[in-house]
Amino acid sequence: MDFAFLSGMLTQLLKGLPLTLNLGMLALAGGFGLSLILNLMRTTRVGNALASAYVFAFRGTPLLIQIFMIYYGLASFGFIRHGFLWPFLREPYWCGLLALILNDAAYTSEILRGGLRAVPRGAVEAARVSGMTRLTVMRRITLPIAVRQALPAYSNEVISILKSTALVSTITLMEVTGIARAAVSETWRAVEIFLCAAAIYLALSLLVTQLSAWAERRLSPWQFGETP
Amino acid sequence: MTLPSTALSIAGLRKSFGSNEVLRGIDLVAKDGDVISLIGASGSGKSTLLRCIPMLEIPDAGTVSVGEDSLSPTGGRLSRAQLAVARQMRGHLGFVFQNFNLWPHRTVLQNVIEAPLFVQNRPRAEAVDEATALLEKVGLSEKRDAWPAHLSGGQQQRVAIARALAQRPRAILFDEPTSALDPELVGEVLKVIRALAAEGRTMLIVTHEMGFAREVSSQVVFLHQGLIEEAGTPGQVFGNPASERCRAFLSGHFDRNR
Amino acid sequence: MQADLTLLGFGPDGWGLALARAGLMTLYVSVAAFLSGLAFGTLIAWARVAGNWPLRKLAEAYATVFRGVPDILVIYLFYFGGRQVVTAIGTALGLSGPFDISGFLAGVLAIGLVSAANQSEVLRGAYQAVPRGTIEAGRVVGMTRLVLFRRVIAPQALVTAIPGMGNQWQSVIKESALVSVTGLVETMRQVAVAAGTTQEHFLFYAAGAIIYLIITTLSDHVFRLAERRSLRGHEQGGI
Repeated sequence: MDFAFLSGMLTQLLKGLPLTLNLGMLALAGGFGLSLILNLMRTTRVGNALASAYVFAFRGTPLLIQIFMIYYGLASFGFIRHGFLWPFLREPYWCGLLALILNDAAYTSEILRGGLRAVPRGAVEAARVSGMTRLTVMRRITLPIAVRQALPAYSNEVISILKSTALVSTITLMEVTGIARAAVSETWRAVEIFLCAAAIYLALSLLVTQLSAWAERRLSPWQFGETP
Repeated sequence: MTLPSTALSIAGLRKSFGSNEVLRGIDLVAKDGDVISLIGASGSGKSTLLRCIPMLEIPDAGTVSVGEDSLSPTGGRLSRAQLAVARQMRGHLGFVFQNFNLWPHRTVLQNVIEAPLFVQNRPRAEAVDEATALLEKVGLSEKRDAWPAHLSGGQQQRVAIARALAQRPRAILFDEPTSALDPELVGEVLKVIRALAAEGRTMLIVTHEMGFAREVSSQVVFLHQGLIEEAGTPGQVFGNPASERCRAFLSGHFDRNR
Repeated sequence: MQADLTLLGFGPDGWGLALARAGLMTLYVSVAAFLSGLAFGTLIAWARVAGNWPLRKLAEAYATVFRGVPDILVIYLFYFGGRQVVTAIGTALGLSGPFDISGFLAGVLAIGLVSAANQSEVLRGAYQAVPRGTIEAGRVVGMTRLVLFRRVIAPQALVTAIPGMGNQWQSVIKESALVSVTGLVETMRQVAVAAGTTQEHFLFYAAGAIIYLIITTLSDHVFRLAERRSLRGHEQGGI
């Protein structure tokens, strides 16, 4: 094993980590916001149909095709090429981020929906009967319980989005995987380089697993037999 | 001596679920200090009646008044303005559920101070002091920092009673407060309710505990198929009911309990 | 955009036939990857449930690694890394290049191994959901371990596993699009080529998306049907 090469490679790949994290975190933030909207839409019939169609389309197709559709496909429309968003939509970064947000929102909205459905009816009724407004019930009772219920599934989604950021390397972005690909085409040492990149992602996902276990213990201590 | 004023009144209350008419015109008045037990077979509408008071079920017709506030919803819906009145009414009531319905993500103390803080906007220190006193009253001061999931059913229900009391309610509504409890835990909850009755609290209690109803009530109301079939003092209703159905219901109940 | 829909047809200028073939290739890749994932995933699940300590740790490590690494990296590793290894071996044997390995094989193996990690989770969960009492009931009537597995454990576990396996199959279909990076002409690759040739990017990517939607929707129905059939005779009608 050529350790000098490996450690040099690792340093080089780590330069892509900020972009990977940037894309991952912004995608999660945007996706969560959009998923809240999708779940709010579900209270009306038309909104429910729209949200279902959205989730169906984005969960039923590969992320890769969504990325290409936004990066290459949108330019087919004249009104987009001449529209005010074009300075963003011609940049691979914004296209990649947009695709990740839209994709994450579809999965997150289903996770959140599951969490909301698992909120005990009685807890909400007790809140209403104490005179809380609908907004207060949402803020103090429904959402906090739903988020706790959804946390394990959501941590899987966080890992999944961090892994998915690797796909934006196909539209020329130089995050960890993009740098790895470029390095491979220069040196042809695919095994070492891709293993290095894999190690970085693995470390990230282990970190997320730890964080989520910590958050779960913190947010729902009663499930672990802890007393405050 | 001044006469007690009306804490809560219900007039002409009707409620259907689909084609099933559950309440067919109920009139009921609770004066301050009254303890009214609602009894009847399952399906007689007593729980629905109780749930109609804070508008957990919205009546199709009739009027519900709590203190100064009064609501006459029509068609099973509340307008925006009516909803605001309903919230005000809820603020003057305490409600104790069959299944306790404590908030699982809040500790015992947090459950009790939640509404004082986030509905009545009282200062935190005051709410905590009052909650501490209430928890002591229901015998759970040592559990103030425990999670609901770690309590027995009887303890959870006593916390729920403290939570209802923290509303400083004009009247407290109990929806079968001991039906979900293991038999050996029923006593501790009844003891708390009994103490509240002795304090002169105004209460409406839906219950199957006939002995308890007989002992604490100032008035007993027997419901049958959505109507009040018999009402009076415990002595009248349990001792010498006028209605044949009430007589049958009671004898069945006492036979089963003995 | 003046989309020319005849481009999607089966005429002389149409890409219809190519797209249909590519759709079939997506199916082949997915089925092959799913089945290899099932075979390997079963082994992993077995190691995690019944293996001794080192075996169990090894299987857990496998699942952790493959669930923590992007699928596309695994494909790159198998395809480009495989080529590197084959080249090294070939050169050592004195053969002259260029050496190459099949994108189909690398893709199927990569997706299969990733899917195996996920499928092992589903299978393990399904095994653990089998009521212990039914296994004890089998033991007391004298069943051997094999009979016990075949007649008592497997039939019950399979029912629990169907929805989870359905989800795994769906993600395998979507992951199969990643094999396009090896140049294998499946749906993703084919629509990219057609989009580049005709410059009708949106039209062809939309067509590709619809092909995936058709495959995912149809197979979803199949899995639901299987679930319903498998639940016959279960009193609760659900797990």
